Amino acid sequence: MAKDKLIDLINISKKFDDQYVLDELNLYIRRNEFLTLLGPSGCGKTTTLRIIGGFETPDTGSVLFEGKDITSLPPYQRNLNTVFQKYALFTHMTIAENIAFGLKIKKKSQSYIQDKIKYALKLVNLDGYENRRADQLSGGQQQRIAIARAIVNEPKVLLLDEPLGALDLKLRQEMQYELMRLKEELGITFVYVTHDQEEALTMSDTIVVMNQGYIQQIGTPEDIYNEPENAFVADFIGDSNIIPSIMIEDRLVEILGARFPCVDVGFGQDNPVDVVIRPEDIELVDPEDGIIQGIVTSVIFKGVHYEMDVMANGFEWLVHSTNMVPVGTRVGIRVIPFNIQIMNKPESEDEEAVVPDE
Amino acid sequence: MVKRFIEKCYLAMIFILLYAPIVTLIVLSFNRSKSRAKWGGFTFQWYVEMVKNEQIIRALSTTLLVAVVSAVVATLIGTAAAIGMNAMPKKKRTLMMAGTNIPMMNADIVTGISLMLLFIRLSDVVPFFRLGLATVIFAHITFNIPYVILSVLPKLKQTNRSMYEAALDLGATPLAAFFKVVLPDIMPGVVTGFLLAFTMSLDDFIITHFTKGAGVDTLSTKIYSEVRKGIKPEIYALSALMFTTVLLLLFLINKRGEEKKERRIPSAAALRVKRAVYAVGFLLLLLVIWIGYPGKDEEKQEQIVVYNWGEYMDPDVITQFEKETGIKVVYEEFETNEIMYPKVKSGAVAYDLVCPSDYMIQRMIGEDMLAKINFDNIPNYKNIGKSYIDGAKSFDPKNEYSVPYIWGTVGILYNKKMVKEPVDSWDILWDPKYKDQILMQDSVRDSFAVALKKLGYSLNSTDMDELEEAKNLLLRQKPNVQAYVIDQVRDKMIGNEAALGVIYSGEAIYVQKENPDIDYVVPKEGSNLWLDCWVIPKNCKNKEGAEKFLNFLCRPEIGVMNFDYITYSTPNEASRKLLPEEIQKNPIAFPGDDIISRCETFRYLGEEADAYYNKLWRSIKSK
Amino acid sequence: MNKKWLSYPYGLWMAAFIILPLLMIVYYGFTTKDGSFTFSNLTQIAYPDHLKALGLSLLLAVVSTVICLVLSYPLAMILNKKSMNQASFIVLIFILPMWMNFLLRTLAWQNLLENNGVINGVLSFFHLPQIHIINTPAAIVLGMIYNFLPFMVLPIYNSLIKIDPEIIHAAYDLGATPVIAFFRIILPLSMPGVVSGITMVFVPAMTTFVISDLLGGSKVLLIGNVIEQEFKQGYNWHVGSGMSLVLMAFILISMAFTVKYDDTEGTGLW
Repeated sequence: MAKDKLIDLINISKKFDDQYVLDELNLYIRRNEFLTLLGPSGCGKTTTLRIIGGFETPDTGSVLFEGKDITSLPPYQRNLNTVFQKYALFTHMTIAENIAFGLKIKKKSQSYIQDKIKYALKLVNLDGYENRRADQLSGGQQQRIAIARAIVNEPKVLLLDEPLGALDLKLRQEMQYELMRLKEELGITFVYVTHDQEEALTMSDTIVVMNQGYIQQIGTPEDIYNEPENAFVADFIGDSNIIPSIMIEDRLVEILGARFPCVDVGFGQDNPVDVVIRPEDIELVDPEDGIIQGIVTSVIFKGVHYEMDVMANGFEWLVHSTNMVPVGTRVGIRVIPFNIQIMNKPESEDEEAVVPDE
Repeated sequence: MVKRFIEKCYLAMIFILLYAPIVTLIVLSFNRSKSRAKWGGFTFQWYVEMVKNEQIIRALSTTLLVAVVSAVVATLIGTAAAIGMNAMPKKKRTLMMAGTNIPMMNADIVTGISLMLLFIRLSDVVPFFRLGLATVIFAHITFNIPYVILSVLPKLKQTNRSMYEAALDLGATPLAAFFKVVLPDIMPGVVTGFLLAFTMSLDDFIITHFTKGAGVDTLSTKIYSEVRKGIKPEIYALSALMFTTVLLLLFLINKRGEEKKERRIPSAAALRVKRAVYAVGFLLLLLVIWIGYPGKDEEKQEQIVVYNWGEYMDPDVITQFEKETGIKVVYEEFETNEIMYPKVKSGAVAYDLVCPSDYMIQRMIGEDMLAKINFDNIPNYKNIGKSYIDGAKSFDPKNEYSVPYIWGTVGILYNKKMVKEPVDSWDILWDPKYKDQILMQDSVRDSFAVALKKLGYSLNSTDMDELEEAKNLLLRQKPNVQAYVIDQVRDKMIGNEAALGVIYSGEAIYVQKENPDIDYVVPKEGSNLWLDCWVIPKNCKNKEGAEKFLNFLCRPEIGVMNFDYITYSTPNEASRKLLPEEIQKNPIAFPGDDIISRCETFRYLGEEADAYYNKLWRSIKSK
Repeated sequence: MNKKWLSYPYGLWMAAFIILPLLMIVYYGFTTKDGSFTFSNLTQIAYPDHLKALGLSLLLAVVSTVICLVLSYPLAMILNKKSMNQASFIVLIFILPMWMNFLLRTLAWQNLLENNGVINGVLSFFHLPQIHIINTPAAIVLGMIYNFLPFMVLPIYNSLIKIDPEIIHAAYDLGATPVIAFFRIILPLSMPGVVSGITMVFVPAMTTFVISDLLGGSKVLLIGNVIEQEFKQGYNWHVGSGMSLVLMAFILISMAFTVKYDDTEGTGLW
């Protein structure tokens, strides 16, 4: 396990203008992993990336790369490359010159550089663009050049700072597949920063959910989605119904006055908790078959499914279903025990963030 | 940390370079001695005198008025032009830029003279373009616009076009979009452009000189006209005051900013202070402009326009004349005959009285520029010594056009501590002992006069062989010459910078006062006897008034006042008799006939000979 | 969005107060005193004295431009690191000395540089060797640097602040040391500022005559002095105009490389 660690961030703290952006952050990144730092803006994900890249120095803590401390190593001595949010292409150079930049510094031979340029442009599907200027390209093309410019240096890690943020949906989806393909072909580690949970779920091996300078949860996309550790994660990843409830005993929770069997244990007895139920996990049945009853208040067609709101026991439940139930219909709500996720309440009102136990 | 230290040192070094001269000037403003080369003790005297000096205050207000108006207009036109040019196709823009760069590539004097010619032509059609304050402002706007464009255009290139479009999209009219979005974005460039324009306007001399009308003086033209006689300490005082005021305002603005460093957006209080400081600065500016506003008292009062050498008349003389007669004297100064000539010749300003030197008067008579003086109106003419009137015949054969005002010789000023041997000949200026120790006059005729006289020729020689000989002599002298200077002989001699210097006799008396080691001699080979006289140009507007003033100047006690003020010899025998005995007998102020008989007066030699002299002079200078 | 019309007032102004006077100079430059057409005013530049003056002007102008550039660039970079508020204050500090009259400032340098001047006074106090540069070309160069330095600092500073720091980060990220990043990225991107700085220093340095008079002791003849003399002492405005035209042409040719630069870069300072 320890051998697998490529990058290790230990007790990293960083303040800007007296505000903690990162507070005692600990995180390791495995070799060949596609790791995504996910969170809303201001959560510290970009700062984390920049500390790995060497553009910021942490106030405390250290960065290990293959076991060596690189905390104070300048960026140009780190064997990793970054794809910047706004591409940061060199506008005074041609595309070929942009791509060759890092290689020329490493004093590679002319023919090697030429080959690499060809290879990289082919890899990002932009063959023949060598002599264009950066400002003659579209956003998506510039993005791909930025990637090409980074990967020709064969870094051990590629850092990507919201690289798809400025692209339209279709292009973004295409680029997601491109990136995954690239990662497969190159066999290197990707550290990816985004605020788009769908993007994170699609591409990552590991997702790190961050908020307000703290890590909220680390896990595979499935873990994060299915077993959010707190309300923030649950709310941030996908749609969900988060309902304050009371844990009656092991495997039994009282939601909005109705008792639901569940599978969780160890939350004590008569203990207030939060319950997360994904909208697609809710079954709408005949009123008498449901655990609680309500009325459908709105229906929206979403393509693959219908999105419906059901008012039941004073709570508006969000439901996804392939079967449409017309507005005004009385329905029953059922959830199978496995799909009820119990979470501890935050310890105090303002402390939404939870330091994960490692 | 080391890097920061080096950076700090570097900044400090640059600031020392930038501010060493400024500090020097501020120190000079407290110098009791009038000479910049000598420390005469600490005094506030010049600040007091500055405030009392109406001319200086007026020049200051004119300067600020011209600078503010021209900078504002240039900023408006220039910014608009830059925006327009930015939207132009490349070829057209390049063309515009080429035009823009013309004023920057031309020597100032060329721009100045060509604008003067243009204004003179235009004024025939549009009287507005008569040389005056307005023409100065127009000229300043012209050379200021390029600075604005050069500052704004690069900023425009980096602005994001979509910002403007976004503003339009959000419902802003193009005008509102411009003021709310584009302008704030290019503001740093606009501000830099404005500051540069303001600064360039403050600094300009040559263009102002040629485009200004009578009585319009900026600080620059005032300073330049004083160059021959040395800068007045009041000017140092004024500059120091202006500088510290601006610096103070800046510090006030910045101080508040510094305290609130952490916050990106300045607090309301800081903003208020900043605004208050700006307002105070602006009010100060307006106040100064208003106090000395150039056109303030332009009632239909009788006036005469006088064009004289810098520092060549006691200001009290003018005040007294104005009080006595009610005639207003519009007084303007020049630095050399050569800079005076084109302004009079062009007829751009109708001068009533001008004070050129001998050879220049001859030329002006030859070119039919002068009016005959009615000597019946000048009874005091009788006070002028006969020998001087006779002397004037060399350039004004019938004594019809000129009234002698000041005269003197050219001789050698030497420092007795540095020159042990007796000095009585021009030869000493060729003595290799004094390598790099001699100051020569930076004027063709004066320098050639020295060489020609040493060779025993006339200083009006036009003989090519004689001139060639003189040229070679001057060339041989060059290693001895520390500098060719006009004004600075006296300051450099006072400061013991040089052992010997060629200078006008009038300056010698002043230099001796400041540095008793200095003596003056007119060499035995002979020298130049010069005579500056009043003349009345043909296109004068108030000949009678001018003659009244002439008569006033010829009064014995007025002659004394002027002598005390400028220390140059007066041809007024009645005045001379009123002077203290030791001055009457001073051989520098009033050399005996033995000296005068050795001397010769310059004559105008004609264009061809002038050109030849110039050619030789250039080849001396360029070696 | 057509804003071209905004430059029309300036176009008019330029025609009246720049082009028209220029035409007058052209007229004078190509005529003799009696009004007949001639090239002789222009060909006078070939006189050895004139050529020498032109050559010396070029040399001194190039030297002072280069020194200004070398001094200004690091300065602009230091300023660029300051916070906006501080930097604009420092920029003002650069312009401020220019509010003391140009002639006074240059005269003050005489006080400083003279053999018995302030600097030598300080040097002798510390028993250091004296400097004797007054009345030499070195003093002229110093005077030019002093007077024109702000014109180099400001445009370079303006071009540096608009470089996105992320671009420089990108260069570091790709392995560029600060030195390489400077020469490959920062310098090329700040080129528009450098070019306009060079223009604003080189041109006035090429045409000056006051500085060479005051600090060079008039012992050094520059092309500006030659032109000035033609106007002020020789009264031959025709020759003076002719020489001005030659000087303008010469400056244009000297700056030609910046036009080339403009073609590739698309930033039009020239």
